[in-house]
Amino acid sequence: MARHLISLVALAALAYLVLPLAVIIGASLTQTSYLVFPPEGLTLKWFGVLFNDPSYVSAFVTSTLLALAATAVAIVLAVPASLALARYAFPGRKSVSALLASPLVLPYVVLGAALLQYGSAIGIARSFEALLVGHVIIVMPFVLRSVLPLLNPEQRTLEEASLDLGAGPATTFFLVVLPQIRGGIISGGLLAFISSWINVELSIFNTTATLNTIPVKMFNYVQYTVDPTIAAVSAITIVAAALVIIILDLLIGLDMLSEGRRS
Amino acid sequence: MISARTAPALLLFAPLAFFAAFFLVPMAVVAISSITTDGGALTALHYTRILLDQYHWDVLWVTFRIALVTTAICMLIGFPLAWYLVRIVRWRAWRRVCVILIIVPLFTSNIVRSFGWMVLLGRTGLVNQGLMGIGLTDRPMRFLGTETGILIGLVYILVPFVVLAVGNALATIDRGYEDASADLGVGPARTFWFVTLPLCLPGAVSGAIMVFALAVSAYVTPALLSGGQITVFSMLIFQQYSSVFDFHYGAALSVTLLVLTLVLVGIAGRIGESGRRAA
Repeated sequence: MARHLISLVALAALAYLVLPLAVIIGASLTQTSYLVFPPEGLTLKWFGVLFNDPSYVSAFVTSTLLALAATAVAIVLAVPASLALARYAFPGRKSVSALLASPLVLPYVVLGAALLQYGSAIGIARSFEALLVGHVIIVMPFVLRSVLPLLNPEQRTLEEASLDLGAGPATTFFLVVLPQIRGGIISGGLLAFISSWINVELSIFNTTATLNTIPVKMFNYVQYTVDPTIAAVSAITIVAAALVIIILDLLIGLDMLSEGRRS
Repeated sequence: MISARTAPALLLFAPLAFFAAFFLVPMAVVAISSITTDGGALTALHYTRILLDQYHWDVLWVTFRIALVTTAICMLIGFPLAWYLVRIVRWRAWRRVCVILIIVPLFTSNIVRSFGWMVLLGRTGLVNQGLMGIGLTDRPMRFLGTETGILIGLVYILVPFVVLAVGNALATIDRGYEDASADLGVGPARTFWFVTLPLCLPGAVSGAIMVFALAVSAYVTPALLSGGQITVFSMLIFQQYSSVFDFHYGAALSVTLLVLTLVLVGIAGRIGESGRRAA
Protein backbone atom coordinates (compact mmCIF):
# COMPACT_ATOMS: atom_id res chain seq x y z
CA MET A 1 0.00 0.00 0.00
CA ALA A 2 2.69 2.47 1.11
CA ARG A 3 4.73 1.26 -1.83
CA HIS A 4 2.03 2.15 -4.33
CA LEU A 5 1.49 5.52 -2.71
CA ILE A 6 5.22 6.33 -2.95
CA SER A 7 5.32 5.20 -6.58
CA LEU A 8 2.34 7.40 -7.34
CA VAL A 9 3.91 10.48 -5.71
CA ALA A 10 7.22 9.74 -7.48
CA LEU A 11 5.61 9.44 -10.91
CA ALA A 12 3.66 12.65 -10.31
CA ALA A 13 6.92 14.36 -9.32
CA LEU A 14 8.60 13.13 -12.51
CA ALA A 15 5.69 14.49 -14.54
CA TYR A 16 6.07 17.81 -12.73
CA LEU A 17 9.77 17.87 -13.69
CA VAL A 18 9.10 17.13 -17.35
CA LEU A 19 5.99 19.27 -17.85
CA PRO A 20 7.48 22.80 -18.28
CA LEU A 21 10.23 21.55 -20.58
CA ALA A 22 7.74 19.63 -22.71
CA VAL A 23 5.43 22.64 -22.82
CA ILE A 24 8.22 24.94 -24.01
CA ILE A 25 9.31 22.57 -26.77
CA GLY A 26 5.67 22.11 -27.80
CA ALA A 27 4.90 25.82 -27.74
CA SER A 28 7.93 26.61 -29.93
CA LEU A 29 6.34 24.65 -32.78
CA THR A 30 3.06 26.58 -32.92
CA GLN A 31 1.96 28.33 -36.11
CA THR A 32 0.21 31.08 -34.15
CA SER A 33 2.02 34.34 -33.44
CA TYR A 34 1.20 34.07 -29.73
CA LEU A 35 2.29 31.37 -27.29
CA VAL A 36 -0.10 28.50 -26.93
CA PHE A 37 0.10 24.95 -25.67
CA PRO A 38 -0.80 22.52 -27.09
CA PRO A 39 0.57 24.15 -30.29
CA GLU A 40 -1.86 24.97 -33.09
CA GLY A 41 -0.35 23.49 -36.21
CA LEU A 42 3.32 22.58 -36.49
CA THR A 43 6.10 24.75 -37.91
CA LEU A 44 9.79 25.44 -37.49
CA LYS A 45 9.44 29.05 -38.59
CA TRP A 46 10.25 30.50 -35.13
CA PHE A 47 13.65 28.88 -35.28
CA GLY A 48 14.11 30.59 -38.65
CA VAL A 49 13.10 33.97 -37.17
CA LEU A 50 15.74 33.42 -34.51
CA PHE A 51 18.59 32.68 -36.88
CA ASN A 52 17.71 35.71 -39.00
CA ASP A 53 17.79 38.08 -36.03
CA PRO A 54 21.35 39.47 -35.71
CA SER A 55 20.90 40.29 -32.00
CA TYR A 56 20.12 36.64 -31.22
CA VAL A 57 22.94 35.41 -33.40
CA SER A 58 25.43 37.73 -31.70
CA ALA A 59 24.18 36.79 -28.21
CA PHE A 60 24.47 33.15 -29.22
CA VAL A 61 28.07 33.72 -30.36
CA THR A 62 28.93 35.64 -27.16
CA SER A 63 27.46 32.91 -24.92
CA THR A 64 29.28 30.18 -26.77
CA LEU A 65 32.66 31.96 -26.91
CA LEU A 66 32.31 32.88 -23.25
CA ALA A 67 31.50 29.32 -22.21
CA LEU A 68 34.32 27.88 -24.34
CA ALA A 69 36.90 30.37 -23.05
CA ALA A 70 35.78 30.02 -19.41
CA THR A 71 35.93 26.21 -19.68
CA ALA A 72 39.39 26.26 -21.28
CA VAL A 73 40.84 28.63 -18.65
CA ALA A 74 39.14 26.66 -15.87
CA ILE A 75 40.74 23.41 -17.10
CA VAL A 76 44.20 25.00 -17.36
CA LEU A 77 43.88 26.26 -13.76
CA ALA A 78 42.05 23.30 -12.22
CA VAL A 79 44.34 20.49 -13.42
CA PRO A 80 47.53 21.76 -11.69
CA ALA A 81 45.46 22.69 -8.63
CA SER A 82 44.03 19.19 -8.36
CA LEU A 83 47.52 17.69 -8.80
CA ALA A 84 48.80 19.80 -5.92
CA LEU A 85 45.80 18.89 -3.74
CA ALA A 86 45.94 15.18 -4.51
CA ARG A 87 49.70 14.61 -4.48
CA TYR A 88 51.21 16.83 -1.79
CA ALA A 89 50.69 17.48 1.90
CA PHE A 90 51.31 21.15 2.63
CA PRO A 91 50.18 23.64 5.24
CA GLY A 92 46.81 25.20 4.41
CA ARG A 93 45.84 22.37 2.03
CA LYS A 94 42.31 22.18 3.46
CA SER A 95 41.78 25.94 3.19
CA VAL A 96 42.97 25.98 -0.42
CA SER A 97 40.61 23.17 -1.31
CA ALA A 98 37.71 24.93 0.46
CA LEU A 99 38.52 28.23 -1.27
CA LEU A 100 38.62 26.67 -4.74
CA ALA A 101 35.29 24.88 -4.16
CA SER A 102 33.53 27.84 -2.51
CA PRO A 103 32.01 29.39 -5.69
CA LEU A 104 29.68 26.35 -5.77
CA VAL A 105 27.74 27.66 -2.79
CA LEU A 106 28.16 31.39 -3.33
CA PRO A 107 25.10 33.49 -4.23
CA TYR A 108 25.90 34.41 -7.85
CA VAL A 109 24.15 37.76 -7.44
CA VAL A 110 26.77 38.71 -4.85
CA LEU A 111 29.72 37.67 -7.03
CA GLY A 112 28.21 39.46 -10.03
CA ALA A 113 27.78 42.65 -8.03
CA ALA A 114 31.34 42.34 -6.69
CA LEU A 115 32.79 41.92 -10.17
CA LEU A 116 30.85 44.93 -11.46
CA GLN A 117 32.10 47.10 -8.60
CA TYR A 118 35.67 45.81 -8.82
CA GLY A 119 35.56 45.90 -12.62
CA SER A 120 34.61 49.58 -12.54
CA ALA A 121 37.58 50.22 -10.25
CA ILE A 122 40.10 48.54 -12.57
CA GLY A 123 38.40 49.56 -15.80
CA ILE A 124 37.07 46.27 -17.16
CA ALA A 125 33.41 46.63 -16.11
CA ARG A 126 30.82 45.52 -18.68
CA SER A 127 33.34 43.86 -20.97
CA PHE A 128 33.94 40.34 -22.22
CA GLU A 129 36.93 40.12 -19.84
CA ALA A 130 34.75 40.94 -16.81
CA LEU A 131 32.27 38.25 -17.86
CA LEU A 132 35.07 35.77 -18.51
CA VAL A 133 36.83 36.04 -15.15
CA GLY A 134 33.54 35.62 -13.29
CA HIS A 135 32.59 32.59 -15.34
CA VAL A 136 36.02 30.98 -14.79
CA ILE A 137 35.55 31.38 -11.03
CA ILE A 138 32.13 29.72 -10.98
CA VAL A 139 32.92 26.83 -13.36
CA MET A 140 36.37 25.86 -12.05
CA PRO A 141 34.96 23.82 -9.12
CA PHE A 142 33.21 21.50 -11.60
CA VAL A 143 36.49 20.57 -13.28
CA LEU A 144 38.26 20.26 -9.94
CA ARG A 145 35.61 17.90 -8.56
CA SER A 146 35.66 15.70 -11.65
CA VAL A 147 39.47 15.43 -11.86
CA LEU A 148 40.38 15.00 -8.16
CA PRO A 149 38.84 11.52 -7.62
CA LEU A 150 40.82 10.16 -10.58
CA LEU A 151 44.16 11.05 -8.98
CA ASN A 152 43.99 8.06 -6.63
CA PRO A 153 46.90 6.24 -4.92
CA GLU A 154 47.14 3.45 -7.53
CA GLN A 155 47.62 6.11 -10.13
CA ARG A 156 50.38 7.61 -8.01
CA THR A 157 52.41 4.38 -8.16
CA LEU A 158 52.47 4.63 -11.95
CA GLU A 159 53.73 8.20 -11.77
CA GLU A 160 56.50 7.26 -9.36
CA ALA A 161 57.52 4.37 -11.62
CA SER A 162 57.70 6.76 -14.55
CA LEU A 163 59.86 9.21 -12.59
CA ASP A 164 62.11 6.37 -11.31
CA LEU A 165 62.66 5.23 -14.86
CA GLY A 166 64.06 8.63 -15.70
CA ALA A 167 61.13 10.38 -17.35
CA GLY A 168 60.94 14.10 -16.46
CA PRO A 169 57.94 15.65 -14.75
CA ALA A 170 56.60 17.03 -18.06
CA THR A 171 56.91 13.68 -19.86
CA THR A 172 55.30 11.92 -16.89
CA PHE A 173 52.44 14.40 -16.91
CA PHE A 174 51.64 14.06 -20.59
CA LEU A 175 52.20 10.30 -20.93
CA VAL A 176 51.07 8.98 -17.53
CA VAL A 177 48.87 11.49 -15.69
CA LEU A 178 46.92 13.08 -18.53
CA PRO A 179 45.57 9.84 -20.05
CA GLN A 180 44.26 8.86 -16.60
CA ILE A 181 42.41 12.09 -15.91
CA ARG A 182 41.18 12.70 -19.46
CA GLY A 183 37.69 11.39 -18.61
CA GLY A 184 37.44 13.75 -15.63
CA ILE A 185 38.57 16.70 -17.73
CA ILE A 186 35.96 15.94 -20.38
CA SER A 187 33.04 15.41 -17.98
CA GLY A 188 34.06 18.32 -15.75
CA GLY A 189 34.56 20.47 -18.83
CA LEU A 190 31.07 19.64 -20.12
CA LEU A 191 29.51 20.55 -16.76
CA ALA A 192 31.57 23.75 -16.71
CA PHE A 193 30.49 24.63 -20.25
CA ILE A 194 26.78 24.17 -19.50
CA SER A 195 26.96 26.05 -16.19
CA SER A 196 28.57 28.99 -17.94
CA TRP A 197 26.18 28.88 -20.89
CA ILE A 198 23.02 28.98 -18.76
CA ASN A 199 24.12 31.59 -16.22
CA VAL A 200 21.97 34.68 -15.70
CA GLU A 201 22.67 35.96 -12.17
CA LEU A 202 26.38 36.51 -12.63
CA SER A 203 26.35 37.73 -16.24
CA ILE A 204 23.50 40.20 -15.85
CA PHE A 205 25.70 42.73 -14.03
CA ASN A 206 28.33 42.95 -16.76
CA THR A 207 26.29 42.64 -19.96
CA THR A 208 25.23 45.59 -22.13
CA ALA A 209 22.78 46.06 -24.99
CA THR A 210 25.50 45.10 -27.47
CA LEU A 211 27.44 42.60 -25.35
CA ASN A 212 24.78 40.14 -24.30
CA THR A 213 24.49 36.43 -23.56
CA ILE A 214 21.47 34.33 -24.55
CA PRO A 215 20.13 33.75 -21.01
CA VAL A 216 20.43 37.43 -20.06
CA LYS A 217 18.85 38.52 -23.33
CA MET A 218 15.98 36.11 -22.67
CA PHE A 219 15.62 37.32 -19.11
CA ASN A 220 15.32 40.95 -20.20
CA TYR A 221 12.95 40.04 -23.02
CA VAL A 222 10.62 37.78 -21.06
CA GLN A 223 9.89 40.48 -18.49
CA TYR A 224 8.07 42.46 -21.19
CA THR A 225 6.76 40.01 -23.78
CA VAL A 226 6.44 36.30 -24.26
CA ASP A 227 6.21 34.98 -27.79
CA PRO A 228 7.10 31.82 -29.71
CA THR A 229 10.67 33.04 -30.50
CA ILE A 230 11.52 32.88 -26.78
CA ALA A 231 10.06 29.38 -26.70
CA ALA A 232 12.27 28.50 -29.67
CA VAL A 233 15.48 29.73 -27.97
CA SER A 234 14.47 27.87 -24.82
CA ALA A 235 13.76 24.71 -26.78
CA ILE A 236 17.24 24.82 -28.30
CA THR A 237 18.87 25.09 -24.86
CA ILE A 238 16.74 22.25 -23.45
CA VAL A 239 17.58 19.91 -26.32
CA ALA A 240 21.29 20.85 -26.06
CA ALA A 241 21.28 20.20 -22.28
CA ALA A 242 19.55 16.84 -22.78
CA LEU A 243 22.11 15.83 -25.42
CA VAL A 244 25.04 16.76 -23.18
CA ILE A 245 23.54 14.83 -20.23
CA ILE A 246 23.04 11.76 -22.41
CA ILE A 247 26.65 12.02 -23.63
CA LEU A 248 27.79 12.31 -19.99
CA ASP A 249 25.68 9.27 -19.11
CA LEU A 250 27.29 7.21 -21.86
CA LEU A 251 30.73 8.54 -20.91
CA ILE A 252 30.79 8.17 -17.13
CA GLY A 253 27.44 6.48 -16.38
CA LEU A 254 24.93 8.47 -14.35
CA ASP A 255 23.55 5.36 -12.66
CA MET A 256 24.37 7.03 -9.36
CA LEU A 257 21.27 5.99 -7.43
CA SER A 258 21.79 2.23 -7.60
CA GLU A 259 21.86 0.39 -4.33
CA GLY A 260 24.88 -1.33 -2.87
CA ARG A 261 27.27 1.35 -4.09
CA ARG A 262 29.38 2.41 -1.13
CA SER A 263 30.76 5.90 -1.30
CA MET B 1 64.40 17.61 -9.43
CA ILE B 2 61.58 19.68 -7.97
CA SER B 3 61.26 19.18 -4.24
CA ALA B 4 58.01 18.24 -2.52
CA ARG B 5 58.05 21.68 -0.93
CA THR B 6 58.18 23.82 -4.04
CA ALA B 7 56.02 21.62 -6.28
CA PRO B 8 52.65 22.50 -4.69
CA ALA B 9 53.60 26.17 -4.70
CA LEU B 10 54.40 26.02 -8.42
CA LEU B 11 51.23 24.08 -9.25
CA LEU B 12 48.98 26.31 -7.15
CA PHE B 13 50.49 29.64 -8.14
CA ALA B 14 48.29 30.33 -11.17
CA PRO B 15 44.95 29.09 -9.76
CA LEU B 16 45.44 30.88 -6.44
CA ALA B 17 46.60 34.09 -8.11
CA PHE B 18 43.50 33.99 -10.32
CA PHE B 19 41.19 33.37 -7.36
CA ALA B 20 42.85 36.14 -5.38
CA ALA B 21 42.60 38.65 -8.23
CA PHE B 22 39.07 37.93 -9.39
CA PHE B 23 37.35 36.44 -6.37
CA LEU B 24 38.91 37.40 -3.04
CA VAL B 25 39.82 40.98 -3.98
CA PRO B 26 36.38 41.77 -5.51
CA MET B 27 34.74 40.32 -2.40
CA ALA B 28 37.03 42.40 -0.22
CA VAL B 29 36.13 45.51 -2.26
CA VAL B 30 32.47 44.81 -1.55
CA ALA B 31 33.11 44.17 2.14
CA ILE B 32 35.13 47.38 2.48
CA SER B 33 32.66 49.55 0.60
CA SER B 34 29.88 48.20 2.84
CA ILE B 35 31.55 49.83 5.85
CA THR B 36 32.81 53.07 4.28
CA THR B 37 31.34 56.31 2.94
CA ASP B 38 32.09 57.84 -0.47
CA GLY B 39 34.93 59.76 1.17
CA GLY B 40 36.45 56.57 2.56
CA ALA B 41 35.57 57.12 6.23
CA LEU B 42 34.44 54.15 8.30
CA THR B 43 30.71 53.92 8.94
CA ALA B 44 28.12 51.44 10.12
CA LEU B 45 25.40 53.51 8.49
CA HIS B 46 24.67 51.08 5.64
CA TYR B 47 24.06 48.23 8.04
CA THR B 48 21.97 50.27 10.48
CA ARG B 49 19.94 51.38 7.49
CA ILE B 50 19.17 47.72 6.75
CA LEU B 51 18.45 46.92 10.39
CA LEU B 52 16.30 49.94 11.16
CA ASP B 53 14.08 49.99 8.09
CA GLN B 54 10.85 48.03 8.51
CA TYR B 55 10.74 47.46 4.73
CA HIS B 56 13.89 45.32 4.86
CA TRP B 57 12.51 43.21 7.65
CA ASP B 58 9.38 42.68 5.55
CA VAL B 59 11.45 41.66 2.53
CA LEU B 60 13.63 39.38 4.65
CA TRP B 61 10.54 37.81 6.18
CA VAL B 62 8.98 37.18 2.75
CA THR B 63 12.29 35.77 1.46
CA PHE B 64 12.69 33.43 4.43
CA ARG B 65 9.06 32.36 4.43
CA ILE B 66 9.23 31.47 0.73
CA ALA B 67 12.55 29.63 1.26
CA LEU B 68 11.19 27.70 4.24
CA VAL B 69 8.00 26.57 2.51
CA THR B 70 10.00 25.75 -0.64
CA THR B 71 12.34 23.54 1.41
CA ALA B 72 9.45 21.75 3.12
CA ILE B 73 7.67 21.01 -0.18
CA CYS B 74 10.94 19.94 -1.82
CA MET B 75 11.45 17.38 0.96
CA LEU B 76 7.86 16.12 0.68
CA ILE B 77 8.26 15.59 -3.06
CA GLY B 78 11.97 14.72 -3.19
CA PHE B 79 12.00 12.04 -0.49
CA PRO B 80 9.38 9.77 -2.10
CA LEU B 81 10.98 10.26 -5.52
CA ALA B 82 14.43 9.31 -4.17
CA TRP B 83 12.94 6.31 -2.35
CA TYR B 84 11.15 5.24 -5.51
CA LEU B 85 14.33 5.42 -7.59
CA VAL B 86 16.59 3.64 -5.10
CA ARG B 87 14.27 1.10 -3.48
CA ILE B 88 11.33 0.49 -5.78
CA VAL B 89 12.60 0.69 -9.37
CA ARG B 90 14.10 -2.65 -10.32
CA TRP B 91 14.58 -1.99 -14.00
CA ARG B 92 17.98 -0.34 -14.48
CA ALA B 93 17.19 1.29 -17.81
CA TRP B 94 14.12 3.03 -16.39
CA ARG B 95 16.10 4.31 -13.40
CA ARG B 96 18.66 5.68 -15.82
CA VAL B 97 15.93 7.49 -17.77
CA CYS B 98 14.56 8.90 -14.50
CA VAL B 99 17.98 10.14 -13.39
CA ILE B 100 18.41 11.89 -16.74
CA LEU B 101 14.94 13.45 -16.39
CA ILE B 102 15.97 14.77 -12.96
CA ILE B 103 19.32 16.14 -14.14
CA VAL B 104 18.22 17.76 -17.42
CA PRO B 105 16.25 20.51 -15.59
CA LEU B 106 19.36 21.15 -13.44
CA PHE B 107 21.29 21.94 -16.60
CA THR B 108 18.66 24.11 -18.17
CA SER B 109 18.82 27.80 -17.40
CA ASN B 110 16.66 29.11 -14.53
CA ILE B 111 15.23 31.52 -17.02
CA VAL B 112 14.04 28.76 -19.33
CA ARG B 113 12.50 26.78 -16.49
CA SER B 114 10.78 29.82 -15.00
CA PHE B 115 9.56 30.80 -18.45
CA GLY B 116 7.96 27.36 -18.76
CA TRP B 117 5.99 28.09 -15.59
CA MET B 118 5.03 31.55 -16.83
CA VAL B 119 3.38 29.84 -19.78
CA LEU B 120 1.81 27.09 -17.66
CA LEU B 121 0.51 29.34 -14.88
CA GLY B 122 -0.96 32.12 -17.03
CA ARG B 123 -4.68 32.91 -17.06
CA THR B 124 -5.28 30.64 -20.04
CA GLY B 125 -2.35 28.31 -19.24
CA LEU B 126 -2.52 24.56 -18.99
CA VAL B 127 -2.76 24.61 -15.18
CA ASN B 128 -5.85 26.82 -15.16
CA GLN B 129 -7.38 24.86 -18.04
CA GLY B 130 -6.83 21.67 -16.05
CA LEU B 131 -8.24 23.11 -12.82
CA MET B 132 -11.34 24.37 -14.64
CA GLY B 133 -11.64 21.13 -16.62
CA ILE B 134 -11.94 19.02 -13.47
CA GLY B 135 -14.24 21.59 -11.90
CA LEU B 136 -11.97 22.72 -9.04
CA THR B 137 -12.51 26.33 -9.98
CA ASP B 138 -14.84 28.07 -12.41
CA ARG B 139 -12.70 31.19 -12.91
CA PRO B 140 -8.97 31.17 -13.82
CA MET B 141 -6.86 31.41 -10.68
CA ARG B 142 -4.13 34.00 -10.38
CA PHE B 143 -0.68 32.41 -9.93
CA LEU B 144 1.70 34.90 -11.52
CA GLY B 145 2.52 37.70 -9.11
CA THR B 146 1.63 35.60 -6.09
CA GLU B 147 3.76 33.69 -3.60
CA THR B 148 2.16 30.46 -4.79
CA GLY B 149 3.55 31.08 -8.28
CA ILE B 150 7.05 31.75 -6.93
CA LEU B 151 6.81 28.62 -4.76
CA ILE B 152 5.84 26.41 -7.71
CA GLY B 153 8.78 27.73 -9.71
CA LEU B 154 11.35 27.49 -6.89
CA VAL B 155 10.29 24.00 -5.82
CA TYR B 156 10.60 22.97 -9.45
CA ILE B 157 14.15 24.26 -9.67
CA LEU B 158 15.34 22.88 -6.33
CA VAL B 159 13.66 19.44 -6.07
CA PRO B 160 16.45 17.70 -8.05
CA PHE B 161 18.97 18.67 -5.33
CA VAL B 162 16.89 16.89 -2.68
CA VAL B 163 16.42 13.81 -4.86
CA LEU B 164 20.17 13.54 -5.46
CA ALA B 165 21.14 14.17 -1.80
CA VAL B 166 18.55 11.80 -0.31
CA GLY B 167 19.02 9.26 -3.11
CA ASN B 168 22.76 9.13 -2.50
CA ALA B 169 22.22 8.65 1.23
CA LEU B 170 19.64 5.90 0.65
CA ALA B 171 21.81 4.12 -1.90
CA THR B 172 24.75 3.87 0.50
CA ILE B 173 22.77 2.53 3.48
CA ASP B 174 23.81 -0.99 4.44
CA ARG B 175 20.62 -3.05 4.14
CA GLY B 176 21.95 -5.33 6.90
CA TYR B 177 20.71 -2.92 9.59
CA GLU B 178 17.18 -3.04 8.26
CA ASP B 179 17.29 -6.82 7.86
CA ALA B 180 18.52 -7.15 11.46
CA SER B 181 15.67 -4.95 12.66
CA ALA B 182 13.14 -7.03 10.72
CA ASP B 183 14.66 -10.29 12.01
CA LEU B 184 14.18 -9.02 15.54
CA GLY B 185 10.45 -8.79 14.85
CA VAL B 186 10.20 -5.04 14.30
CA GLY B 187 7.52 -4.03 11.78
CA PRO B 188 8.36 -2.20 8.56
CA ALA B 189 6.97 1.16 9.72
CA ARG B 190 8.99 1.12 12.94
CA THR B 191 12.08 -0.12 11.09
CA PHE B 192 11.76 2.80 8.71
CA TRP B 193 11.24 5.28 11.54
CA PHE B 194 14.00 4.05 13.87
CA VAL B 195 16.59 2.57 11.46
CA THR B 196 16.31 3.80 7.88
CA LEU B 197 15.34 7.41 8.52
CA PRO B 198 18.13 8.15 11.02
CA LEU B 199 20.65 6.60 8.60
CA CYS B 200 19.69 8.88 5.71
CA LEU B 201 18.94 11.91 7.84
CA PRO B 202 22.38 13.56 7.45
CA GLY B 203 22.06 13.44 3.65
CA ALA B 204 18.49 14.70 3.82
CA VAL B 205 19.30 17.53 6.23
CA SER B 206 22.31 18.77 4.29
CA GLY B 207 20.21 18.59 1.10
CA ALA B 208 17.46 20.59 2.81
CA ILE B 209 19.85 23.30 4.03
CA MET B 210 21.39 23.49 0.54
CA VAL B 211 17.90 24.02 -0.93
CA PHE B 212 17.10 26.62 1.71
CA ALA B 213 20.30 28.56 0.99
CA LEU B 214 19.67 28.48 -2.76
CA ALA B 215 16.05 29.56 -2.26
CA VAL B 216 17.10 32.50 -0.06
CA SER B 217 19.54 33.77 -2.69
CA ALA B 218 17.40 32.97 -5.77
CA TYR B 219 16.92 35.87 -8.15
CA VAL B 220 15.71 34.88 -11.62
CA THR B 221 12.73 32.74 -10.62
CA PRO B 222 11.19 35.19 -8.12
CA ALA B 223 11.90 38.09 -10.50
CA LEU B 224 9.99 36.44 -13.36
CA LEU B 225 7.15 34.79 -11.45
CA SER B 226 6.50 37.72 -9.09
CA GLY B 227 5.56 39.97 -11.99
CA GLY B 228 6.93 42.91 -9.98
CA GLN B 229 4.42 42.30 -7.17
CA ILE B 230 6.70 40.65 -4.63
CA THR B 231 10.24 41.64 -3.65
CA VAL B 232 12.83 39.19 -2.32
CA PHE B 233 16.25 39.98 -0.89
CA SER B 234 18.38 39.37 -4.00
CA MET B 235 16.17 41.82 -5.96
CA LEU B 236 17.13 44.55 -3.48
CA ILE B 237 20.81 43.92 -4.25
CA PHE B 238 20.22 43.98 -7.98
CA GLN B 239 18.24 47.24 -7.74
CA GLN B 240 21.06 48.98 -5.89
CA TYR B 241 23.62 47.96 -8.51
CA SER B 242 21.52 48.38 -11.64
CA SER B 243 19.21 51.34 -11.07
CA VAL B 244 19.94 53.12 -7.76
CA PHE B 245 23.75 52.95 -8.16
CA ASP B 246 24.34 53.07 -4.40
CA PHE B 247 27.28 50.64 -4.31
CA HIS B 248 27.90 51.08 -0.57
CA TYR B 249 24.39 50.16 0.37
CA GLY B 250 24.27 47.39 -2.25
CA ALA B 251 27.52 46.06 -0.77
CA ALA B 252 26.02 45.95 2.73
CA LEU B 253 23.03 44.02 1.37
CA SER B 254 25.39 41.63 -0.50
CA VAL B 255 27.46 40.98 2.62
CA THR B 256 24.28 40.27 4.58
CA LEU B 257 23.12 37.71 2.01
CA LEU B 258 26.60 36.19 1.76
CA VAL B 259 26.97 35.75 5.52
CA LEU B 260 23.50 34.20 5.80
CA THR B 261 24.31 31.75 3.00
CA LEU B 262 27.76 30.82 4.31
CA VAL B 263 26.41 30.15 7.80
CA LEU B 264 23.73 27.86 6.37
CA VAL B 265 26.17 26.02 4.12
CA GLY B 266 28.61 25.67 7.01
CA ILE B 267 25.92 24.03 9.11
CA ALA B 268 25.02 21.73 6.22
CA GLY B 269 28.67 20.73 5.79
CA ARG B 270 29.00 19.92 9.51
CA ILE B 271 25.89 17.75 9.47
CA GLY B 272 26.97 15.95 6.29
CA GLU B 273 30.41 15.25 7.75
CA SER B 274 29.18 13.97 11.11
CA GLY B 275 26.79 11.70 9.19
CA ARG B 276 29.64 10.29 7.10
CA ARG B 277 31.70 9.61 10.21
CA ALA B 278 28.78 7.88 11.93
CA ALA B 279 27.97 5.68 8.94
